[in-house]
This record gives sequence, structure tokens and C-alpha cells, in this order.
Amino acid sequence: MSGVVTGCGVVSAAGDSVAEVLAAIRAGTAVRTDVHDRFAEPLPEAEAPAIAGFDVRGLLGRKGTSFLDRATALAMVACGRALTDGELTPDDDNRHRIGVVLGTTTGSLRSTMDFSRETLVQDKPYLVNPVLFPNTVMNCAAGQAAIRYGLRGVNATVAGGPLAFLYALRYALNAIRRGYADALLVGGVEEYTPNTAWAARLTDAGPAGEASAVYLLRRRGAEAGGARAEVLSVATGFAPDDADAGLAGCAGRALAAADVRTADVWALAGDDADGLRNVVPTTVERLPVRPALGDCQAAAGALAFGALLARCAEEPEQAGRPALLTARSRDGGVAAAVVRGWAGGGDDHR
Amino acid sequence: MHRVVVTGLGPVSGIGIGVDEFTDGLRRGRSAAAPITSFDASGFPHRYAGEVPAFRPAELLRRVRVAEWGRSALLAAAAARLAATDADLPLPLADPGRAGAVIGTTSGESTVVEQLVADLVAGGYPSMSARSLRQAPAERLAYAVSAELGLAGESVTLTTACSASNYAIGYAYDLLHTGEADVMVAGGADSVCRWAHAGFYRLGALTERQCRPFDRDRSGILTGEGGAALVLETLEHARARGARIYAEVLGHGLNCDAHHMVAPNEDSVAACMRLALDNAGIKPVDVDYVSTHGTGTPANDLCEARAIRAVFGDRVPPVSSIKSMLGHTMGAASGFGAIATTLAIRHGFLPPTINWANPDPELPWIDPVPNVARPATVRVAQNNGFAFGGNNAITIFGAIR
Amino acid sequence: MSERDKHLEQLREIVAEVLEMEPEEVADTADFVEEYEADSLRAIEILARIEKTYKVEIPQAELNEMRSLKAVHEVVARYAGWQD
Repeated sequence: MSGVVTGCGVVSAAGDSVAEVLAAIRAGTAVRTDVHDRFAEPLPEAEAPAIAGFDVRGLLGRKGTSFLDRATALAMVACGRALTDGELTPDDDNRHRIGVVLGTTTGSLRSTMDFSRETLVQDKPYLVNPVLFPNTVMNCAAGQAAIRYGLRGVNATVAGGPLAFLYALRYALNAIRRGYADALLVGGVEEYTPNTAWAARLTDAGPAGEASAVYLLRRRGAEAGGARAEVLSVATGFAPDDADAGLAGCAGRALAAADVRTADVWALAGDDADGLRNVVPTTVERLPVRPALGDCQAAAGALAFGALLARCAEEPEQAGRPALLTARSRDGGVAAAVVRGWAGGGDDHR
Repeated sequence: MHRVVVTGLGPVSGIGIGVDEFTDGLRRGRSAAAPITSFDASGFPHRYAGEVPAFRPAELLRRVRVAEWGRSALLAAAAARLAATDADLPLPLADPGRAGAVIGTTSGESTVVEQLVADLVAGGYPSMSARSLRQAPAERLAYAVSAELGLAGESVTLTTACSASNYAIGYAYDLLHTGEADVMVAGGADSVCRWAHAGFYRLGALTERQCRPFDRDRSGILTGEGGAALVLETLEHARARGARIYAEVLGHGLNCDAHHMVAPNEDSVAACMRLALDNAGIKPVDVDYVSTHGTGTPANDLCEARAIRAVFGDRVPPVSSIKSMLGHTMGAASGFGAIATTLAIRHGFLPPTINWANPDPELPWIDPVPNVARPATVRVAQNNGFAFGGNNAITIFGAIR
Repeated sequence: MSERDKHLEQLREIVAEVLEMEPEEVADTADFVEEYEADSLRAIEILARIEKTYKVEIPQAELNEMRSLKAVHEVVARYAGWQD
């Protein structure tokens, strides 16, 4: 049984739609936002592929938002948009069957480091703000999204950096296949802060980016309205010694599980996919995220998926054809998913 | 669909490292509580925690290089190595792609992050160590396990806070049950850190020296740490290699309070218990023992006891909290609970709730197995895990039939 | 403005900020938990900010009493030695 995507919610430096994400990726040049006066602390750059003008209070209201960290706020907004876009209204009959699965890297590094910093610089190490304590747990964004939208189903947070979205997608697909949930908000989130900016700079991964992209995944047959895409399979593995071979193996397993031939793959979304040059034809369309949107870590895969959806929507002849979404990390994690997108409703293609 | 069994246990805890020491610790009601050594706790009014001072990663690990990983990854990898040895797992596996790791955590590489904070305070952001930054991502906990044991399948870290090990065991169970894998190492790891100690103290949820779950005068948690790992296999795989089988994983349940980030919710916790029992195909009356989340805060234990009462009615089985011995090991907590539960089934005893002195008049239906381990036949046991974010996860284990 | 009014307005601002409200929305006798969705975390933070502002130490046990602006003022006055 596969999962069907019926809605999406995006907050990105390129704009708040998958079409704008695709446009930025296609342009291939780095999105630049002026960040020089965004923080009191110094940054390694004056411009970065960061989201411009994100106003959490304007989007979510004052109540319950002034102590949120940016990653949590970005995730909450994207989750809300995905629910609305997918026309799913949580109510007392369905909320226990609706959940959230989000990808992360370290949660909000800024929240954690700031909280820890207080234990060193205050007169007493325990003079921390208790309201900020929940921000230090990595499941903060998923938990807050559940509270805001009243979602009592499976609620999970999966760490994976660049692989996080694919891990989350596989986790969510399992939960839907096993009957634990009827609908899941699946996505990835990453915030741009001095912490992530410097981390990316100091580890040569930069520039750091930020985004939140969330998709409403439903059990096939349970979806109302049109399906945007179908997630056929996700395979993951760990191959620290030969990540190219590991990624190729993953892609092979994902394609086999989806009963898709390599020759039928028309697009390849995601960064660091060179290892697949002997697997999929070199002529397939490629949609890498990093050149345009920076190192978005746990949100990168979710942006790549969004670009695929947008591509299918604009070109009906690719509708229903399988595409690969892949990711890998320098630690040796590898993952691949097989997805099919549709131009609109998609009912005709199933 | 495949049945799933436990064939190896790997505890790295303050009451014992390795299954023999840990079993002995549970039977004797040993306490890990001691003055904190991981960081300078002198500025805190409460300075005790359940650390693992005897943890020497280099003595336990064979493949991963200690210098390349943070403390939580090392705790996870060491626990996994112990579990694999206990399971007599033939490494390298014939088909490593069918074997993987799922590890849960609350704070990931918290000691690495706190080193970065120290760098930052001393010299600003540019002085953060690149090596520490590369070690900080939480996904490395599962990667350390996979690297240590040479596993090439799924390697995932679930960061669902203090129920994360139960999430990990549940997900590993599903991957085995549905035939996606033959062997999975599941569990969790966390390290004692300043920020968690400060946060819990500030909430008024940190006790001074003794964690006393279900006691009338309980006053909070002790922060703790450790690594907990279980080797899970399909029954066919375990039988084909002639493995010793401790117990069977019968099922699990997950839900979310969607109510408050920190305060537990009785109805939601009860609903999670029902989900887990349903998933395992058993009824409340079948359950012989509950290893509780039992943090020792007034709020958790009251909420949990009431939820138990709501689900089990007049036939509440004995319950205990191993956090009385270990402290709150955060993301590892329900992994230790799973190990204790498995040992209870295998050896026929109930781990005690130590430091218990006074019954709570509000919870007369609770038998917390006070202070002394008790011989008992345990056919089915329930292992509770709850967390910040309202992330509830419960696993059910049974004697192999 | 009397000392009492001055203190009350300062406390109102602290409470409003932590509870994410405008100061004028915080009524003197309204229950923080029942009417403003306060929780124990926010209560502790209100206490912490008061301690910092007035350089006074108030035991956390007093939180049970500090459920409205008026009650907060009474408790703080007692510990800070205000003659309001």
C-alpha cells in the first residue's frame, strides 16, 4: 500500500509555494536575502538563502507564539498550510487518526545552545527561563504542531540531517501501511540562525539555508479530493565505506519495491546524486536543492520533493511517471524514494 | 507477517554494564544516584544524578573509533555491541542490508553541544570546534550502532524525547514484522547535561538525592544517562541460527496528547495503553506487570496511575519504576524499561521501586513492588514511555510460546 | 500615581509579557490559569522575572497563591517589604 500526497505547505527563501521552489532550483543561482541586521550576533555573511520577512505573530497570532523558536514556528506554519491545502479539517472524530512526522538535525540548535549558555552566564546555573525549556527537545516542532491543530495520532520526529525527510517519509509510510494513522503531516524543517550559519561555515557545508516544507500524506483510498503525488516506496541504508554503491543499492531497492524500471525514471531530485550516474540514464532531469537554497539540512529533501511536485504540475506529460528522490550524508547515510506526481487531481492516472 | 523476538540485551547503565550486572542491579535494587561528575554542578542546589562513571567506551567498542563520536553515540554503540555479543549474533552478518539500527534520544549529543556552548562563551561563534559541529547531529547515534556492528540496512535516530526508545523498538518491530528486515538493534541513549539538569530544576521537577516514584512524598526526577539496546529478530531468523530467545515483542502503541508540551494527559495516556494492548492482541487482564514511566514527579505518577486504573479497572497488576534506581535516563529510559521487562519475563521476577517509604493515599490501587525485587511469573508485560511534546509510546512483551 | 499603582502596573506588564497579552488585557482579579491559559512554566517565569526586577527571593511554594495580578502583588509586597 502506498501513500498519497493531497496537500503541501511551504515556507522557503524562494517563496511559499512549490512552484517558487522549483523556479529557484531551475534558475540554479543562490537565493540571497539580506540578513546583516537580523541578529544581534555577528554572522559569517551579509546575505544568505534565508526566508525574508517571516512574521510568526502575523501568521499564527500573538498567543502561544512569543516563546516559539524559529524552527518550531516555521514547522507550525507549514503544517497548517498543508492541512488547509489538503482540505483536511481535524475534528473530534478524526484527530486521533491524524499525526505529524517531522525531520530534524539537532532540533533548534539555537534554542538548545542559548538555554545551555544561560547555565554558564547567569549568576546561578539554574536561572533559565522555564518557558523555553520545551524548545530544547528535538520533538518540539512536532509536539507544538500537534497542540496547535489538535492532532492526537502518531507524532514522531526523525533525525537525519540531509536524509531526514526521506527517513520521515519512510516512517510515515510504515505508520499508514500498518494502519496506525489515516493522515500524516510529513516534512522537514531547518532554521537559519547564527548557530547554523557558523556551523555551516566552519564545516564547509555552507551557506546555511532554511525552510519548512510539509506534505499531507494519506492512506490511498482515504484521500478526499485530488492527489498530487503518490509515494510508492522508500529505501534507506548505511554505507560509510562506499556511499555511491550504497546509494545505488538503495535506489535499486526502492525501484524494485515500487515495481518500476530504471529506464522509466524521468527525474532525479535531491543533492549529491552523482553516485547514481550508472544507475539512471544521464538524460534524466535533475533537481538539486543546495545550489539555489543553500544547506537546508533536514528541510532539503522536503524541498526537493516539492520541486518534483511542481514539475509534474506544470508538465502533464510527465504526470504519473516515476521519479527518484534521493539523499546522502557525509556520515554514510543513504536513502531513495520512488514517487509519481500528477498535474492536478490525478484520479485519471491511478 | 513475522513474529518478533528479543535475543540480546545491552544495558550501559549506572546500576550495571552488561546484562549480568544489570540483572543483578535490578534484583538487588541498586541505585545509580551519586554526586554529578559530568559537569561542574556546584552552583546547583541539587547535585545528584544517575551517571555511568564506569563507562569506558574503548573497552567495549571494537570497530568505531572513540575520538570520532560524541558520548551519546558511544553509549548507543557500546550498548549495541553488548547486545550483539549477548545475542551471539554472527558478525559480520551474511546479509547486512537486512539488518539495521533504530535509536531513540531526547537530547542527542548534548555533551558535544555543551562543548560548543563553552567554545561560544569563550570566543564567540567562530571559535566553535568544527569537529564538535560534525559530531553534533543526532542521526549519528544510530550511525554509531550501524558502524560498530557493520549493519547496512535502515539506520535511524528517533528524537521523540523521553519515550524515544519505545518509538525505536516499535518501529524496529514493524520493520521485522512486515518482513523489511531480519535483525534490528533498537534502543536509546542520552548523556547527563547541564541544560537538562537546569531545566528540570527550574520546573521544580528535580529531586535532591533520591527518586521515589509512587511514594506519597515523591519530589521529582533525578537526571540520568545511559545506553540501552535490544537485539530484535524475526522468530524464523532466531530459530534458524539457534539463538536463545528471551521474550517476544507482542506489539506497541503510539499517540500524542496534543495538549501541553510538558504536562502529561491522563486520557491520552490511557488511550495509548489501549492502542498498545490492541496492537499486541491482548487484553488488560493478560498483563502481569507494568514497567512504568514513573518519573517520580507528583504530576506524572498521579497521571500514570490514574490512566492505569482507567485501563485495568479493579485488576491492576503490580507496577514498578526502574527510574528509582537509574534516574531518568531520558531517551534511553524506555529502552531500559524494555530490558527490565524482558528480564522479568525471562527470570521470573519483578524489579522493585526503591526509595519507597509511604503509600500515596491518592493511589491505593498501586502496588509499586516496594524496595525489594519479587519472584513472579510474568507472561505478558507492558512498558510505558511518555515524553515532552505529548509523545506517548508503549511496548508490550510476552513470554515466548 | 501611588506606590501601589506603580507596582501594580509594573507587575501587570511582567505578567502580560509572559502570558503573551497586552497589559490592558490583564485584569486585577482574573485567574491566570482559568482565564489566560497560564501553566506552571509561565507561572515560574513570572516569578523569576519578578525576582530579577525587584531583587527579591520568593519561594516557589508561593506560586499556589499567585494566581491573579492582585494576589501576585500581595505576595510580592510581603517579600519585598512594600508598604502598599
